[in-house]
Amino acid sequence: MSIVREYDNFLELRKQETSNFLWISKKWNPQIAFKQGSTRPSPQYHKDAVLNSPKIQDLLEQISLKTNVPKVELEHQVKDILDEIGYEKKLKVIRWLGLILTKICLTVLSGIYVNVEQVEQIKNQMGNCPVIFVPTHRSYGDFIMMSYLSFQYDIEIPAIAAGMDFFGMWGMGTLLRDTGAFFMRRSYNDDSLYWTTFKQYIYQLVSKGDLPIEFFIEGTRSRSNKSLTPKYGLLTMVLKPFFFSQVPDIQFVPIGFSYDRILEESLFAFELLGVPKPKETTSGFFKSMKILKENFGNIYIHMDKPISAKEFFGSKLDRSVHNLTPLHKQEVTEDEKTLLPPLAYEILNRQQKVLVTTVFNLVSLVLNNNLAYETELLSMEELACDVKWIREILRSLGGFTHTTNIERSIDDCLKTHKNLVYLNRKGKLKLVRNPISQGEINHKKLKGHYLSDDTMTYSVPFVTLQIYINPILHYFIDIDIILVILDTRPMNEDELFESYCFLRCLFSREFITFAPKDKTAFNAAMNDAISLNLVNLNNGKYQLANNKKLGMLIVNTFYTFYVSFFATLLILERLPSVVDEKSILANVQKLLEDAIVDKHKEFIHPYSLNLDTLANCLNSLVDEKVLQKTRRDNVNAYEINKIKLKDVKDNFARYMTRCSIEERCQIINKIHLQNKL
Amino acid sequence: MGENSQKNQLNGPIIVNSVVPKNRQELIKWNGWGYNDSKFVIKGGSEVYFSGRRYPIGEQRLPHIYGWVKDVFDVDLSTAVPKKFNDLPDEKAYPNLNVTPEILEKISHFNISFSTKVIDRVIRAHGQTLHEIYTLQNSVFPRIPDVVIWPTCHEDVVKIVNFCHENNIVIIPYGGGTAVSGAPECPPDEQRTIVSLDTSQMNRILWLDKENLVGCFESGIVGQDLERELKVLGFTTGHEPDSYEFSSLGGWIATRASGMKKNVYGNIEDLLVHVKMVTPRGTLEKSCQAPRLSCGPDFNHLVLGSEGSLGVITEVVLKIRPLPKCQKYGSIVFPSFEKGVEFMREVAKRRWQPASIRLMDNDQFKFALILKPESSYFAHALDAIKKFYVTTIKGFDPNRMCVMTLLFEADEKQVETNEKNLYDLCKTFGGFPAGETNGERGYMLTFVIAYIRDLGLQFEVVAESFETSCPWDRAVTLVRNVKHVVADECRLLGITRFLINCRVTQTYDAGCVIYFYLAFNHRNVGDPVRLHGRLETRAREEIVSSGGSVSHHHGVGKLRRKWYGSTVSEAGVGLYMAAKRQLDPKNIFATDNLVTQAKL
Repeated sequence: MSIVREYDNFLELRKQETSNFLWISKKWNPQIAFKQGSTRPSPQYHKDAVLNSPKIQDLLEQISLKTNVPKVELEHQVKDILDEIGYEKKLKVIRWLGLILTKICLTVLSGIYVNVEQVEQIKNQMGNCPVIFVPTHRSYGDFIMMSYLSFQYDIEIPAIAAGMDFFGMWGMGTLLRDTGAFFMRRSYNDDSLYWTTFKQYIYQLVSKGDLPIEFFIEGTRSRSNKSLTPKYGLLTMVLKPFFFSQVPDIQFVPIGFSYDRILEESLFAFELLGVPKPKETTSGFFKSMKILKENFGNIYIHMDKPISAKEFFGSKLDRSVHNLTPLHKQEVTEDEKTLLPPLAYEILNRQQKVLVTTVFNLVSLVLNNNLAYETELLSMEELACDVKWIREILRSLGGFTHTTNIERSIDDCLKTHKNLVYLNRKGKLKLVRNPISQGEINHKKLKGHYLSDDTMTYSVPFVTLQIYINPILHYFIDIDIILVILDTRPMNEDELFESYCFLRCLFSREFITFAPKDKTAFNAAMNDAISLNLVNLNNGKYQLANNKKLGMLIVNTFYTFYVSFFATLLILERLPSVVDEKSILANVQKLLEDAIVDKHKEFIHPYSLNLDTLANCLNSLVDEKVLQKTRRDNVNAYEINKIKLKDVKDNFARYMTRCSIEERCQIINKIHLQNKL
Repeated sequence: MGENSQKNQLNGPIIVNSVVPKNRQELIKWNGWGYNDSKFVIKGGSEVYFSGRRYPIGEQRLPHIYGWVKDVFDVDLSTAVPKKFNDLPDEKAYPNLNVTPEILEKISHFNISFSTKVIDRVIRAHGQTLHEIYTLQNSVFPRIPDVVIWPTCHEDVVKIVNFCHENNIVIIPYGGGTAVSGAPECPPDEQRTIVSLDTSQMNRILWLDKENLVGCFESGIVGQDLERELKVLGFTTGHEPDSYEFSSLGGWIATRASGMKKNVYGNIEDLLVHVKMVTPRGTLEKSCQAPRLSCGPDFNHLVLGSEGSLGVITEVVLKIRPLPKCQKYGSIVFPSFEKGVEFMREVAKRRWQPASIRLMDNDQFKFALILKPESSYFAHALDAIKKFYVTTIKGFDPNRMCVMTLLFEADEKQVETNEKNLYDLCKTFGGFPAGETNGERGYMLTFVIAYIRDLGLQFEVVAESFETSCPWDRAVTLVRNVKHVVADECRLLGITRFLINCRVTQTYDAGCVIYFYLAFNHRNVGDPVRLHGRLETRAREEIVSSGGSVSHHHGVGKLRRKWYGSTVSEAGVGLYMAAKRQLDPKNIFATDNLVTQAKL
């Protein structure tokens, strides 16, 4: 990725024009993704085609025979399902929403920056095969902006895969549907009629539709503002027509959305700490409309070069395996499924690489380090100095920060985030701390431990700040691991790489990587660490070098993740060998809360409480076969392999010598826990 | 030559005076397609004509070609200088002759005509692929036959095959020379003497059996001779591949050819009742002329598609039919290719196919207009059509519409019913009848289109066709995928001026046949043969990935060998090789077709 990037602010155009209405009512003749036949397929055409497909018809005949339900009745069921799923396209609605959105954006945003040149290139290449937009998903803003951007650049508004939970919002479901959203149930039941219909609908949209399709490869909004491990369900469905040679190719366009300020930041902070997500309600939506009176700075959208599925799979894919049986009798093969993870991770990596770093990301990194691990608070000048310094380092690692004048950008972003950061009377930067009262809380809805109001009051600002650090951590994680290892003692490359693999595997879900044991990533990180003077070679052994300031910053920043992992390992060690997920999470959070409260002993970062990281740790341990996951009655439980766990814990403890939490580690009695619930 | 030659023959075989002389080059281009007198010529700067009076568009101005060539290929025919090609090769061009005087001496004792002249040998060293024609025009073949021999009957062939087997001499059978698979080419590394066995002088009609409606023909007879002679007697085989003016009966069998009118008469395997093939282990034949046998695997099917690798086909019993009472053309236009295919599928479902039914895609439809001998300017013509369709029949996009051509052959009444059925049905698919003339022109173009490559080659435009067969439900996507892959690959190769279009040429109960045309301007891009090879390979890979076959009727030869194994399975390759070793233990039919010699 070249460091020179050009972005145009298309909100500027809206600001300058005399009438937004004229723009929104412009002649609409958009570029479509995949030209079909002589007439453009309508939403209803797709539904009819799904119903009449041999796949669905065969299934209905079978069910009808088995259950004695007349086929006509089953067809009605399918029609209902299709009406629940299917997108609509109402240009009028799109235009009105567009107008409202324009007004809102003009009020609360300073700019919407887009890499127009690439967008135009993508647009020019569209027309010959399905195009799939795959944006990062870190805010509801993502798909609204994606459609808005499409309208701006005369690209057909994509059909968007949305979760059914949206539909619960009164009126919103219909609005979204009218602008091209289609809906997918979240529950993973075995309603085969529903899922066969849904899959066939996707097959239809990809192979016979002409709209771009948009979906989120992480499956859900990331609350942590970091990339999540990919989900393969929709990706498999989208690729099926290509595997079956029903389309010539599929172009995946990775897209990175970054926000100076995320609409849902406080909501996310709560959720990360385990306060359950409030149901999406329209009144909730209107509440969020209130905060639209505030300033949200800029939004940066980067569309990356498309990834051609055909090129990506190359000769690894043999599509002729589907030649000998009718296509509707076939499913994606196991061989084909093994091709998905590399593609999914490639998309995620590209998303991460193209994401624009905001100045506030850098401010948060510096400020967090200061507040957590330094004794003197920062002045504005010191902050600016460090932000400039870290920006250069990030640039050398391939990151791109959007700013023309860093001092002004810092001022701007502090204004945008005045709810989080303020200058005290002495001119030093501090976090805004608003007392939090949780009131009556239904303990059953908690995912983990009940955190006290004090803990919440203290933690929420830190967690919110961390949300803005998280998107740039992938630039540093490999270096951090190397530094942490070398902090124990100097060692040769083989030893170093072995330890690196251990930690990288453990963190492979927290900081997503497809190949944690990949030497090329390690080598790249080593080169960076050496050229940044973090590490040097002495007598055939690598050791820490002189750039202590950067070294400290990196290690400090990641320390919270180590603490979370360590606490999880400690708790698992002490729990019985079969245990439910909630007990684990509650115990870990309890342990950490106590440690956080006891500030004299050691500073424990409140972000270590976040359930995302704890869940990632558990999943990594499942990957490593330390845990075995089972699901019964909608409850996750784990069987712990204590021998393997001890190995992992002892190995990990080598990097946690400074950490004191083991001393205070006790298990909340199971009965006591249940009483509390 | 070429007139009916049956006047003085009351009994016994009919000696056929072939249109094609023994010295083929006297009638047929030695370095291009078809008759010497028939070609596209440029007169007075930018006027394009088709010369000769053999085809209906002969000696007529074709005013639309100039603009079309400019638009599509960026070639200005008025200023571009035609490329200079090789002269007719003489002995200096091919100084090597890999045959001993002793062998030649022995051959001369057979009293069978033979030649070692370079011109005879070069002419029989190739078929009609782009690679072969380009080599003829611009360079030399790495290997050509050493001796050309012209047997005149089955017994001659037996003598030659036995002799070659004893002396370990390679035989490459040669029929009409129209192969488009590289089949007649000599393997470049062959160290043994290579004899080209030209069957053209073995072209008698041995007998006709009007009671059972079969005839016995020698394998060297070419299509137009066969049909002309049968016509006099009131019969036809109905086998009419696009190459039938020049291709031979033996070649049809050896490649599993398909005729345009197969819906009425059947493909070559349906017409074939009995065949003799001379092999080093004796003649493979059957004991009776029964219409069908249940007697183990049918070895007719070992001969069909053998591509000269197992032996020489000498005598063939084919079905014949009385000439149809009525022959009529027709055409239907459709709003889109997809609609046309849907219609064809429905016609096949109902088994309503006339003798021939073909669907041209939009590009071919436009191309057909280009070859219209009219004085008005092309854009004019297209505009008029545009106007007509857009105003008169709403919703027809001139950049999407397609035309289907039809040929009916039957009793008048049957033709009438068939026509009515089709013209009624087509309305359901948004089509409407577009007249006989359009249909007739469509079929005429089939023959003329083969000549246009020679025009292109003079101006750095190369062209080739390839075909496949696939299940009905894969047809539209296969076409779309292939066009996409060709466009993609052209972009990668830096080819900016290209054309890829297709037509659906045959229908079956279970699928159809798709015929592609590919052409591109290779100016400043690189070696056209290499570029084309890559494009065609990528296209074929895409075909196979999209559910299509390696070939419907062109055969495998050397060009598509790569896909033989995956098409017939490992066990299949083993079976073929076992047959090969049994029939030809020394591999004297070292054609290198289907499976490479390295594996034999």
